[in-house]
This record gives sequence, C-alpha cells and structure tokens, in this order.
Amino acid sequence: MLDARTWLFWAMTVLVIASSTRNPLYAILLLLIVTLVSAICAPDQNRRAMLLPFRFAATAVPLAALFNALTAHLGDTVLLRLPDWLPLLGGPLTLESLLFGATNGLVLTAIFGGFTLFNRATPVRDLVQLAPRAFHEAGVVLSIALTFVPQTTRSLARIREAQAVRGHRVRGLRDWLPIVVPLLVSGLEHSMGLAEAMVARGYGAVSDRAQPLRSQALLALGLLMLLGGWLAWLFMPWKRAALSGMIAGAGLILAVLRLAGRAAPRTAYRPRRWSGRDTLTVLGCGLALAVVLLPLPGRATLAYAPYPRLSLPPFDPLVGLGLLGLLAPVTVSGSRADHK
Amino acid sequence: MIHFNHLTYTYPGASRPALADVTLRIAEGEFALVAGPSGVGKSTLLRCLNGLVPHFTGGVLGGRVAVAGRDPVAEGPQALSHVVGFVFQDPESQFVVDRVEDEIAFALENAAVPPAEMRARVEEALDLLELTSLRVRPLESLSGGEKQRVVIAAALVLRPRILALDEPTSQLDPQSAQDVLSALVRLNRTLGLTIVLSEQRLERILPHADRLIHLPGPGGPALSGPPRQVLHQMDLIPPLVTLGKTLGWEPLPLTVEEGRCFAAKSQFPIPNPQPQIANPPSPILQVEGLSFNYNGTPALRGVSLTLGKGELVALMGRNGSGKTTLLRCIVGLLRPRQGEVVLAGESLVGQETADICRNVGYLPQEPGALLFADTVADELAITLRNHGMTNSPPIAPADLLTRLGLSDLAASYPRDLSVGQRQRVALGAVTVTRPRLLLLDEPTRGLDYPAKRELTRLLREWQADGTGVLLTTHDVELAAQAADRVVILDQGAVVADGSPAQVLTASPPFAPQVACLFPDTGWLTARDALAGLGRLPA
Repeated sequence: MLDARTWLFWAMTVLVIASSTRNPLYAILLLLIVTLVSAICAPDQNRRAMLLPFRFAATAVPLAALFNALTAHLGDTVLLRLPDWLPLLGGPLTLESLLFGATNGLVLTAIFGGFTLFNRATPVRDLVQLAPRAFHEAGVVLSIALTFVPQTTRSLARIREAQAVRGHRVRGLRDWLPIVVPLLVSGLEHSMGLAEAMVARGYGAVSDRAQPLRSQALLALGLLMLLGGWLAWLFMPWKRAALSGMIAGAGLILAVLRLAGRAAPRTAYRPRRWSGRDTLTVLGCGLALAVVLLPLPGRATLAYAPYPRLSLPPFDPLVGLGLLGLLAPVTVSGSRADHK
Repeated sequence: MIHFNHLTYTYPGASRPALADVTLRIAEGEFALVAGPSGVGKSTLLRCLNGLVPHFTGGVLGGRVAVAGRDPVAEGPQALSHVVGFVFQDPESQFVVDRVEDEIAFALENAAVPPAEMRARVEEALDLLELTSLRVRPLESLSGGEKQRVVIAAALVLRPRILALDEPTSQLDPQSAQDVLSALVRLNRTLGLTIVLSEQRLERILPHADRLIHLPGPGGPALSGPPRQVLHQMDLIPPLVTLGKTLGWEPLPLTVEEGRCFAAKSQFPIPNPQPQIANPPSPILQVEGLSFNYNGTPALRGVSLTLGKGELVALMGRNGSGKTTLLRCIVGLLRPRQGEVVLAGESLVGQETADICRNVGYLPQEPGALLFADTVADELAITLRNHGMTNSPPIAPADLLTRLGLSDLAASYPRDLSVGQRQRVALGAVTVTRPRLLLLDEPTRGLDYPAKRELTRLLREWQADGTGVLLTTHDVELAAQAADRVVILDQGAVVADGSPAQVLTASPPFAPQVACLFPDTGWLTARDALAGLGRLPA
C-alpha cells in the first residue's frame, strides 16, 4: 500500500500535466493511465464508483465543447452560424472551437479522475496524518468533512425518495425546499451527534490548553514579514532585502508551527512508513514531470491549438513514454488485499 | 461506583425538568438496565454519567453525581472519557474514520497513547468484541450488529470502568441484537465492567440485568433495585412478566427457561388448534416473481406474495434479507429487474412513485426525512397539495389528526415532537390521501410500549376500513399481536408464509416468549395465554 504522501504527489502530477496540455492525444493518454491505475490500485466493488470519472466525462466533455463553441467563434470550419445580434453567442460555431472545448473537458476529467483515485486509495486516517501536528484538529475536521460528502449524498437521495412518496415532484427551484430543509436539519443533527460522540471519546482533551501568547505574537510577526517582503518585492527597488524578509518570515512561521506541534502531543496507530514502492512511484511521477516541463532540445511543445484550421495534433513519443511514468503505482502495487 | 444524589436537570428553554430528584446507586460490576417510556429522561440520565449533561447540552443541573469517585459535572466529558465509555443509539453517527481498527484507535491517537501500548489495546478491544477478522474492513461494509460492536470496542479502548449504552440494540435485527448483548454480558462477567444500558425492549436484557432502574415519568420517583422487585411496580413489562405477575408466579420468571417450570405446573386443557377455514379476503396487492439486483448482487429473487383487503401482513427477516427493497420496489423507488406488482388489478411497474403513492401510503424507516413543514397540520396539507387534492380531500385533515391523537399538536413544529408523535405525523402525511394499501418499514423502531400499543390500535382501525397493511418488523411481539399473516424473507426469497401461529412458532429466532413457553398451543401473546388458562379478566 502506498503512502498518502505518494498518492498526493501522484495526483498533483496528474493535475500539473493535465493543466499543461491541450493536446487531445496527451489528454486521452492521461485519462487512460488514470483509469488503468484506478482499476488496478483501488478496485471498488461498487461499479458506480468505478464508473464515476466516465459519468463525469459524459457531462463535462459535451458541456465544455458546447460552451467553447458558443463563446469562441474562431476557426475556419464553420458548422453553423448564430445571428450576430445575440450577445456573446452570435457568430460562427466552428469544428475547431468544438474540439478545443472537448479537449478541455477531457483535461478536467483526467484531473477529476486523479483526485477521485487519491480519495479512494487513501484512508481517511492517513489524510488526517497529512496535516502538520499543529493543525491536527483542523485535519480531523477536514477529514470528517470529506466523509460527510458521501453521507450527504445518501441523505439527499433518501429525502428525495421520502418526498416522492408524498407525491412531490421537482419541477422548479421552489420544489427543492422540501428536500433542502430536511437535508440541512438532518446534516445539523448528524453533526451534533458526531460532535457529542467525539467529545465522549476524549477528543480535544489534549489540545485544550491555549497556545501561549508568545507563539501567537511570533506567528503574527512571521506573517507580517512574509507579506511585507512580498509587497516590497513587487513595488520597491530593494529586491534582496525584500527576499530576505520573506525567507525570514517563512522560517519564523515554520518554527512556530513546529513548536506548536510539539506542544500538541499526538501518536499514530500505524506510523507512516516510506517504502521502496513509494520511492519508485515518486521517481515515475518525477520522470513524467521532467519530460513534460523541462525544455528539452528538439522536443515538441505540449500546447496544441486546432485554430485556424483543424490539423492532426502532434504526438511526441518521448512525451508519451514519459507519461507512462504515472503508471508506476500499477507496477509496484501488491496484491488486492494490500489495498484499502 | 455511581451515585446520583437528588439529581435534577432541566434542558435550556424547557418548562419542566427532564430528571427530577433522582437518587440511586449502582455498584461496581453491576449490569444496570434503565427502563421507562419514551422521553422520560433515560438518555439524559446516561449522559449525566460522563458529564455530556450539562457540558454539551447546557441547562440547569441540581444535586450531585459521583462516578468512580469523580465529579463529571466539574470535570467534563473529555476528562471522564477514561472512566466512562459511551455508546449512542445509531452507530453510523459516531464514526469518525472509515476502517475498523482506525476507528478503534482514534481515541488513543487523540490521547497520545504510545504506539506500542496503542497496538496492544486495539488488539485487546478487537479480541473482546470478536472483531479480529474484520479489522481492515471498511466500516460501510459491516452489518448493523458489527458496526455496533465496533462502536463498543472504540469506547472500551480507553479502558473505562463503566460502559454506558443508549438503546444500543434498537436498530438491530434479533440475531444481531443477541450478538451485541452476548458481547456485553461477556464484558460484564469477565472484566467486571459496570454496564448501564437503556432499552425499550426489556425482554432481551432483563435476563442479564443485576439492577433495574425505572424512570416512570413526571411526578413519579425513580425506582431502582433487583429486576424482580422493580418489575412488580412497573406497568410496561414484557409478555412473560405480565403472565408471571397475573398468574402469581414467584419468583417472577425473567427468561423462558425460568417460566417453563411454572408453565409445566399450570393446569389447562391442551387446546386443539383447528385450522381456520375462512374465505381469504379479495386481494388488494399481488406481487409476482419480483427480482431486483443491487450492483449485480441479487436482493430479491422471484418474490411472490398476495395481500388482501383489510389484511395485515408482517414481513420479517434478518437485516439485508430484502424487506425494505421489496417495499421500495412496490412504490416504484426501485425498478425491479423482472416481475409484476399489481394494486387492485392495476399494474404499478413503470409508474411514477408520486402517482403510485396516491393509492399507496409508504412510511420509510426514518420518518424524519418526510417532515419539513412549520406545523403538523401543514404536513398533511402539503401532501394533499402535491396530489392535487386540496379542494377535495378524501379524509378531512382535522379528522385524521384526531384519529392519530394529534389534534392538540396541529400547530406544533413536527421536529420538536417525541419519536412516537413524529411517527404519527409522518403516518398522517402519507395516509391523508386515504390509500388502499399501507406499507410501513420498521414502524416500531425506537417506540416504547404505549406508542406501540397506540400504533397497533391505529392499524386495526385502518384494517377495519379495508386498507391492506404490509409492515416490515423485527419486533416479534408486534407481529404476534397485530398480524393476520407473517411472511419471512431470507436472502431475497420468501421462505415462510402463513398464519402467525404457524410461522412464528416454527422459527425459533422469531418465536414470541409466550409461544416458547406454551408450545403446541397456538398461543402467541400474554392475552392468548391468559384466555387459554381461563384467567382473562372479564
């Protein structure tokens, strides 16, 4: 099982690469890689969960294509023409803008798929551990918020059904009231119940003592130095002093957080352990990032625009091979029982 | 171990105290059962043990509480978490993380227990609750009983001396409830853990309790003592105890085994139950070969059943046997893979839920999901509006409220009402269209004895009007009292269908106490037995 930090780095790599390209071939390759890793590293009994990225794509790709076609009237291959008097929408609808929008949809789907996999492959407890010790409580709250999303989805379905058996039909915005009110009330009731259960289990007892005033003052000073240095960097001529101020401010913030973390003792049931698999995965992601981001001589750019006339997008085999580095979790993953 | 001394507590904004002048003691290692009607303060009393009341709730508390020599009111729930483990009614509302052993370790991580000790304690808790084989399972994949055992393990991992449980088996089927109870009894007997548990269904717990605490309600003093002694002063008691008290059995039997000695001595003519040859009522609902899959897993396998006009059928079976799925298929919330559902000669398959529910009243497991209006009266009016019946309601809403015993609460906010009252409001909201068929999913969950009695009376009235009633329940005593027929589902298939006397007595997990006590008599309720023994008051 990979470390949560490794999965986070993998998901961030997918985000960076997806954001860097509008070449549909690379976007499709990325999507295939994400799907393959998802199927092998985080298999789910629930077929609906596995198909979630495809359901997302079914909405995102057509919507993005339509939006771009309606708003960007560029390209030579005109499919139809909307009246010019229509604000923003008026003008030619072109095949090029349609394709560019669809590529945006594919990119969004790849990012969505990457983070969906991160969420499925990482137990909530590991997410809590990702937070610095000084922010442990905030980490717990965030992780609970994550588990609330599927719970709220289930509640929504339950309440919609309960209202349907009273003859309720959703036709307009007003018709959502009988659904939203019980959803809010049940969400609040659930939050109160959970808070009560956590208090009964001693949550918050260790960190009850307030941070000393000195720590708070040093944290405020660090933030001021960072902000002041940044403003000075932007608007003043003395760049070196500004940079020094920013570095000192950041250092002070880190030091205060480290001290605050020590004052809030925490232990972990299963401490995080970095394994060779994690190193290999990070190297794979690093390879993909290097191929995509480094300006290697003779390498074609990732950027692609179908304008003004549609042409076949370029495909650099070196980039294609580099992206395969994102498959590292598949090659290093163990048996199914290993997984979440 | 525990001492309440003239404890009085009033919730913020309440006009009268939830607990008034409660004085009682619980000794170390005792298994104490807290009983009483809904809303009488059982949960409040338990929450006083670890200081959730008043620290979490606010309000005014008078008197003193001492728990293992400590003062929960002064120290608060976090400090008391190492002394009192607390288990709430709904296991799912207590989970913080998503995997069994992580959930159990959560409290230890927060308490900064060293990792080596933490691992030892988690192992201990897993062993005690027999959860070792489930340790890496996601919580959402567990059954209700398994989830409740995880919650108990998570409470025990801090090694408290007292375990307080607020109706921990109320949402479980009989077998899962028995698993949880067995675990609690083992903890009590082997570790000497003091257990304080509140419960509505006393018959399950009484055999294991050392002390019974009865909170009778406003004005009455709390009773505390050995169960047999307190039961003599209580009205809300299980059928076996009712029989024992009426027939003068001493010492009062708490288990069927204890009752058998007395039953064997009772002189009564052995009845010869004759098969009742009555014309079956004309069918209102016909289900034929209904099948449904969840993500490829069969949930219903060719279910067929018929329900007659004015007939009440109890649908029973373990959690996950397909009871709720069947009801949801009937009202169109789920589309069956194959099969037919016919209501009064008209096929319902393919119809919209909203259309089906003009003629079918469906009460889901959580009635709270139905309620959102500002007043009780509005809840009924909204259903009528949804169905376009505002100007010609099949039954006057005011009359229905009277029938439901809610006329005094017509202007009340529904969510402020008690569990039983809320359920009756929800019943009103789904029956104001005067449906020909009523589907009730676990209608007695969380209800006390009087509320159950009231529900049974209402169902009888609807039956008399010709309404067919199909209800799912784990409550064998309710099925014995109210059902004309019992159908048992197992793994999505009908495995038994017949009269309550035939089905309930043939299946030990579903047999009521009286049927176990007097086998082969056809008696199911205390009333049946008393009538058979010639002891029913005129």
